[in-house]
Amino acid sequence: MDQLDSLSLFAITVRTLALCGTSLLLALGLGIPIGIWLGGRQFPGRRALLGLVNSGMGAPPVVVGLLVAQLFYRSGPLGDLELWYSTQAMVTAQVLIALPLVVALVVAAVASLDEDWALQVKTLGISPLWRNWLLLREIRLGLLAAVIAALGGILSEVGAVMQTGGNLEGETRVLTTAILMYTRMGLFESAYALAGVLLGLMLVLAGLLTWVQYGEKR
Amino acid sequence: MTAALTARGLRMVRESSVSRFELVIESLDIESGEVLAILGANGAGKSTLLRALAGLEAPVAGEVTRHKHGPVTMVFQRPIALAGSVAHNVRIALRSQGLEPAEIARRSAEALAHFGIAPLAERPATTLSGGELRRLALARAFAIQPAVLLLDEPFDDLDSSAQESLSNDLRRAVAQTGVAVAVVTHDLRRAVLVCDRVAVLLDGSLRQVGEREEVLNRPIDREVARRVGMTNLLPAEIDAHGIARIDAEHSIPTAHRGTSGRGWIGLRPEHLKVDIGRGEGEPIGNGEVTELVSDGILTTLGIAWAGHSLRTHLVAGRGMARELRPGDAVSLAVRGGDVRVWLSEVPGE
Repeated sequence: MDQLDSLSLFAITVRTLALCGTSLLLALGLGIPIGIWLGGRQFPGRRALLGLVNSGMGAPPVVVGLLVAQLFYRSGPLGDLELWYSTQAMVTAQVLIALPLVVALVVAAVASLDEDWALQVKTLGISPLWRNWLLLREIRLGLLAAVIAALGGILSEVGAVMQTGGNLEGETRVLTTAILMYTRMGLFESAYALAGVLLGLMLVLAGLLTWVQYGEKR
Repeated sequence: MTAALTARGLRMVRESSVSRFELVIESLDIESGEVLAILGANGAGKSTLLRALAGLEAPVAGEVTRHKHGPVTMVFQRPIALAGSVAHNVRIALRSQGLEPAEIARRSAEALAHFGIAPLAERPATTLSGGELRRLALARAFAIQPAVLLLDEPFDDLDSSAQESLSNDLRRAVAQTGVAVAVVTHDLRRAVLVCDRVAVLLDGSLRQVGEREEVLNRPIDREVARRVGMTNLLPAEIDAHGIARIDAEHSIPTAHRGTSGRGWIGLRPEHLKVDIGRGEGEPIGNGEVTELVSDGILTTLGIAWAGHSLRTHLVAGRGMARELRPGDAVSLAVRGGDVRVWLSEVPGE
């Protein structure tokens, strides 16, 4: 196999961003409401749920990949969907990896609010829609931390996306799986080019979010 | 005046693995344009009652009814600043009401000016001091023109001049808007600064509700008397002419007439007069000064009389407050009308 050309590098980068962006949005879309719900309520079993979320933060991505791969495998429970080695299976794995991070950080942000915060807002006659908007505004630093953590987890992950996507050229190949492949083949020039792009993306995105977060704190 | 909020047959229960607390309020009205102080010790159920009145906690039984158009809003013991500027904190509540931007700006500016925080309008609310935050919480609450405003310990952590200034602003705002206000506090002096009526909450039930002077001067029992600052409580034998005999040598005139028997008498510290030179009240003999404690405004005098310890207040730093020392003898006098009599209570109980 030849060294990577710039067109392929561009296509892999765009695919990586599209997949990670989709996974991040889904993880935030699911994780923020769950985190707000878990953070602001007391009910039997809450502690057990929080324990589950916290252990999910430390779950090895390769195990998540194994479970999702088996789920979508031809003879698996969702085999009829024919999503094994697909971008959908990769997104599922990435969402499952990022979700506990988002939920845990949102729970921490909500729990750090004054215990009477929600009641105070309610007694000001503010409508539920506005109350939710105010809450998101109030926990925005925690939300930014959740975005940074989830993005880092998704973008740099290789095991689960390899297991669920299969590194198919032009279909499921992303930066991390391509780096792995070129390293195995001894094509280090291409691997370094991909690694440079991945590091650059991480630095730019995380740096941007950190800058926003720092600006808020000042 | 008309009732803006009523509570009838209210019953709230708080249970944990180690304790159970029950709040029972048969009847409570908060009138438009008045400030009702709900006075009680820590743990008496004040905050629970306030949350029930605000609709934040559902009662086990009974109901709270709002009779006037407008929200029932509450300012918490630790006022909460929402993210954003001081002005944003006031405007956000108004925006939710669907008001025009010009009306929001007018009402916001008016509320900030009324509570003296207009110069802080663009400051992040989270950087305000405790006193400024209380003013913001009140401005935000008044801006939405509530029917009922509930305040939980609104003067906590404020020095006496800040308390006085805030209570003046609060009274002015109540007079201008006609809002019904309930203030819960454990501090009688703070309650007296603002209230028209007093409700005394003891052990989860309202023991007495009435006009301020009525409750302060005519508490219905000794527990209420202690809570409203009538700290001179003595067991006595009261005769049909109103003479309360403490022992063979000491007695106190009262306005009580007709019935007689054993009981208790109560006298507010400010109604026990020392040095009868100005002809106030009837002399009851001499007492001995045991202690003088001053907070810079009032000097509280401890006086031993008839084997009991009595208290009275003097203006700090003037006259007798400056001259008296522990061990000094002072002449004492009371006015019969100032002495409260409870015949039904048995001394020693």
